[in-house]
Amino acid sequence: MRARVVLLVLLGAAAAVLLLWALLGPTSRVPQSGPEPAPLPTPTPAPKRQAVLLYPGSDGLLHPEIVPLSLPDEQENRVRVLVSRLLQPSPAGRPPVAPYPAMLTDVFVREGKIAYVDFTAPENPLAGCGNEVPFVYAVVDTILLNCPDLRAVQLLFGDREVETLTGHLDLSGPLPLNKRLIAPS
Amino acid sequence: MRYARFIIVILALSLVASVLLAGQVHVRWGGRSVQVPRTADGRLELLPVLHLLGADAGFSHSAGTWGVVLGDHQVQFTPGSRWVLMDGELKKLDEAPVSTPSGVAASERFLEQAILEPFGFHLEHEPGGLRIAEGAAYLSPILVVPVAADFGSTTTVVLTLGRKERVEVEDRDGAVVVHFPEAEPQLDESRRVASARITSIGVHGRDLVIRLSEGAGLLGSHVLDDPPRVSLDLGPKARPAPASASPPQLRATVHPIVLDPGHGGGDTGARSPSGLEEKTLVLAIARRVARILRGRGFPTRLTREGDTGRALADRTAFANRLEARVFVSLHANASRFSSARGAETYYMSLKDEATDEHAAATARLENASGERSGGHDGLDLILWQMAQAEVLNESSRLALAIQRRLNGLEGVPDRGVKQAPFVVLTGATMPAVLVEVGFLSNPTEARRLATAEYQEQLATAIADGIVAFLKHQ
Ligand SMILES: [Zn+2]
Repeated sequence: MRARVVLLVLLGAAAAVLLLWALLGPTSRVPQSGPEPAPLPTPTPAPKRQAVLLYPGSDGLLHPEIVPLSLPDEQENRVRVLVSRLLQPSPAGRPPVAPYPAMLTDVFVREGKIAYVDFTAPENPLAGCGNEVPFVYAVVDTILLNCPDLRAVQLLFGDREVETLTGHLDLSGPLPLNKRLIAPS
Repeated sequence: MRYARFIIVILALSLVASVLLAGQVHVRWGGRSVQVPRTADGRLELLPVLHLLGADAGFSHSAGTWGVVLGDHQVQFTPGSRWVLMDGELKKLDEAPVSTPSGVAASERFLEQAILEPFGFHLEHEPGGLRIAEGAAYLSPILVVPVAADFGSTTTVVLTLGRKERVEVEDRDGAVVVHFPEAEPQLDESRRVASARITSIGVHGRDLVIRLSEGAGLLGSHVLDDPPRVSLDLGPKARPAPASASPPQLRATVHPIVLDPGHGGGDTGARSPSGLEEKTLVLAIARRVARILRGRGFPTRLTREGDTGRALADRTAFANRLEARVFVSLHANASRFSSARGAETYYMSLKDEATDEHAAATARLENASGERSGGHDGLDLILWQMAQAEVLNESSRLALAIQRRLNGLEGVPDRGVKQAPFVVLTGATMPAVLVEVGFLSNPTEARRLATAEYQEQLATAIADGIVAFLKHQ
């Protein structure tokens, strides 16, 4: 009888432990050697005081320049600040990224991943792959390099989605980072 | 004592309840086992199972995908998506995995289809939980991708199988039945099979049934490896034939090289300070390239023969329709930097070299399918993207071959081979590149580009590059 009671008490204790474990942390016994789960959002650090901006050169490549710039945390504002800066001459004296007097009219971010950047459309038809590719990727790559949460950028012109700007590059969808156009430093 | 017994009963009950309510399942593999949490809707947390199998699993935050590696096998999947990339092959499963606070969870079926089968395991139910067993499960699904092509008097049907699997081909009246003794065929419904000899393809249990049109029959079948596939030859139904009957003749097809002179018609392209237009210059160069190639025995076609406009997608479609060996789009450049000069060659950049870029490209495709009407759906785009990947290496070789010859010309600075998504290269099913022969915006280079002598040099360099590429294919 005594042995039976001891057994029952032990069983009960085990059940209690199991119950506690089951209620408090059912996943705590999951092996921890697997991949890290998605991190919880952490407080964002103070705004960055400088950014790496890409400006096209005559070699057709994008040249990184460190530009003093206070980047807001909020994505759309951050993109707006970056692109507005790209539309001005670079500190090293490179011309603005747009091959025509473009103005930024709107920026919006969908699902926190894709940025849409709307420029005024060129007044006269623009020609040349050498005008289109560096401009588009200066904007796309600069945004993606400075906004790590974004995955792709689509350029819109005159509030419209366009197939292409000069008949070469496919602009009908968001573009991912293209590191190959960045000049080796 | 009675009080103590009461507590013990409560505790014992809670022991049972805790096991039931906490949603745990005991998963066993070999001599080891693990308690795997189950979500409220019955999904299993995948990470403990993967850990049990000794698989490496990782989550790419930028890509939003999970990657699992075990031995030589690799599986990638995305929470919320039914598409799984298994050893480089894309498959659509019945269900999608979901993100959980501790990782990712999925149904038993998904676990079996996406994780266990590719790694050579299957799942078995046993008292008190699940057991991971080696080997394929009996009647595990197998993806069958059908393709058919009519060649005059015969039709070839190729059924590409998701894995090597035993099949038996049977010629029944009016139908060819491909029987899978140990698997359940699943037809890739995204592929539409267009053949005059086939009325339908469907699956009935373990049989894949190809219904034939009147008068058609099975001439022969082969089971091939790499990739595992079944090849069926269809033709006129066998009937007592005279002994002298000749075998069906396949139509000899010569696949041309397709050159695409950029722009045309109202789309002049770039223009030099003296008024030389890109559309005119590139047509002149394309004609020269075509003459040189034809002279060397390579049939060559142009997407436009005169000063006419042609939609960009139509140019690629033209090359696809002709099953061109290569597609070369010719352009002349312009830059607001008047000093810019030299030639450069582009090829597509859909399949990116870096994982992040690839993920972003995928995101781009997903987004394009999800948010734009009238476009392809995500499946088409992904399949298309994967087909693109097959020709991408070839395209980069072609680009390099041409660029190298252009660099050999005197006074032409090398602007290199670059990658970007060009509309005219989109969807090309053959090695495809875009050559920018020089800058019309540079007054000196524009003057040179206007001369017949330099155009001939450029044309020879481009033709040499194409021929060198084809010879080493
Ligand atoms: Zn052009």
